[in-house]
Amino acid sequence: MSYSNEDLAALVREDSVHKSVYTDPEIFRLEMERIYGRAWIYVGHDSQVPNPGDYHTTSLGGQEVIMVRGSDKKVYVLYNRCPHKGAKVVAEGCGNTGKFFRCPYHAWTFKLDGQHLAAPMKNGFEGTCFDPKHPDFSMRRVARVESYRGFVFANQSAEGPDLGEFLGHVITSIDNMCDRSPVGEVEVVGGTFKVWQPSNWKVFYENLHDTMHANVTHESSYVAAREQAQDYGSMPLELHIMDGNGEPYGFWEKLDLYAFENGHGYMEGIFNPGAIETDPVSKAHFETLKDAYGEEKALGILGQNRHNTIIYGSGSPHTVFQQFRVIRPVAVDRTHVEIQLFRLKGAPDEIYKRGLMYANLINSPSSNVMPDDIEVYGRCQEGNLTRGGDWISMHRYNGTDKPIEGGMVATNGTSELPMRNQFRAWKKFMTMA
Amino acid sequence: MLFDIDFDVGVDRVAPVNLNPQASRAVEQYIYHEARLLDERRWPEWLDLWTEDGMYWVPHSFDQTSPYEHISLCWENKLLRELRIRRLENSRNWSQQPVTQSCRVVSNVMIDGTDPDGYLVVRSAFHSMEWRGKEPVHRVGSLIHKLQAQEDGGWKLRMKQVNLVDRDAVHGAIQVYI
Ligand code: FES
Ligand SMILES: [Fe+2]
Repeated sequence: MSYSNEDLAALVREDSVHKSVYTDPEIFRLEMERIYGRAWIYVGHDSQVPNPGDYHTTSLGGQEVIMVRGSDKKVYVLYNRCPHKGAKVVAEGCGNTGKFFRCPYHAWTFKLDGQHLAAPMKNGFEGTCFDPKHPDFSMRRVARVESYRGFVFANQSAEGPDLGEFLGHVITSIDNMCDRSPVGEVEVVGGTFKVWQPSNWKVFYENLHDTMHANVTHESSYVAAREQAQDYGSMPLELHIMDGNGEPYGFWEKLDLYAFENGHGYMEGIFNPGAIETDPVSKAHFETLKDAYGEEKALGILGQNRHNTIIYGSGSPHTVFQQFRVIRPVAVDRTHVEIQLFRLKGAPDEIYKRGLMYANLINSPSSNVMPDDIEVYGRCQEGNLTRGGDWISMHRYNGTDKPIEGGMVATNGTSELPMRNQFRAWKKFMTMA
Repeated sequence: MLFDIDFDVGVDRVAPVNLNPQASRAVEQYIYHEARLLDERRWPEWLDLWTEDGMYWVPHSFDQTSPYEHISLCWENKLLRELRIRRLENSRNWSQQPVTQSCRVVSNVMIDGTDPDGYLVVRSAFHSMEWRGKEPVHRVGSLIHKLQAQEDGGWKLRMKQVNLVDRDAVHGAIQVYI
């Protein structure tokens, strides 16, 4: 079916949403156009392309793109398409292309910023309107690229707010991750996990702040961690990070959930990986930050204990364990998640190892936690394909959200505010003129 | 912590050994036995194969030489092995309903020699299929076992390394041991 803006708006109510937004391929196609075509989307990090000619491929709403460092040191984002016959210019992955891109089909070449450089056998073009200076004969750039503290975002639309305005208050999560380095810089290192989710992309975003699922979905995992701790007589961090999901409802109710314009938000931390007083690794980290920033600011940086942040359309940075889960929709029922691990430049090595452990144990395809999330996402997808009902509930604490600058805060940490907020943004993008 | 230990995963400094046919066959049988315990979900027996400090390792990248600076698909000590199996056996493990069935073929067993610490390095190839009632999952790769000789003439697992041929692929959940 084809949808008018009125049809689309009718799929989202204040307190519930029609299941077709998760299951209809036509809606998925419109989302890629209207959300992924208009929002600022995280492409990758500066540190993935340190030198001129370095490139990294990824996708923005299904569009294959190349992030590349130009000869002028600037980062460009190009569609991975040769303007001759349309061949993909570079294979997926990363590498260094040298001083220019060379198409593998007929050897047209392009500067690192996409500009047409040369095509073999010039004489054959005489008398035609082929013009190397005309943009039709260059690799096309994504309309806008902006980077914030090394995090490169692109926007496929030339119009709309700039990156800072689009991100609004969640930009502070990027700040906090960077500030945890005594030189204020992070870099992607240590490999990137890639995981399939058998479900619509939105389910993942909703789950990030869904505190009501933790001690239900992850029961096998935190029970196993607790049994293990009992046998060993202590609970090392490996087990502690699984144990957290088993907190009772009362614990989750006390957390703060923040929701901002454009679907973004964050959630207050659920476990402090180490108090400065009791944990030597945190203490050492604190000392390096104190030397760099002074005591008060260092305390402020480490005191900001955020669990998942949502950058709608891009994914979820986890500031305390230095990860960015990059969420890429592939089909209406298939989502690709890439987990980047960052090193805080200048911070003690133990902090990196801790991030490495968290990535291995929580974000890896072989995690003891994530399979149960993946399973329930898949069950939502399958259940919604039945005739068992049409609407999905987002009622919890509806009507109690408190306005703050640029958004809202939940009165209760088990509120479904984040889902309602995401669908407000969804509706805005999907029905925009 | 998992990364503070100094565990040698290297297999490039191996001295040749000469095992008689009977001893070689015993090593092969040990490798097959280990595979069978996993397919038959005989977890306690499988856990018993390991030395106290043994490590199970599934590298994530082709150029990865150690688990210390780089993510791994699995890097598990005794604590984490027991944890995984506890989770697999918990009745509320939603993603194991139905449970993972598996069958693997292990072949091309070759005894490379002993590493500087005296562990026997054995390589093999495997092909397995996992099944949970929907899409079959094939896993293929090579295995490296480091075995510690026991006084009774048997062996214990000091390291098991699984090198998937598609380790850089996008994976679904990897729940049971490969
Ligand atoms: S398609 Fe690229 S040069 Fe022909
Ligand atoms: Fe979860």
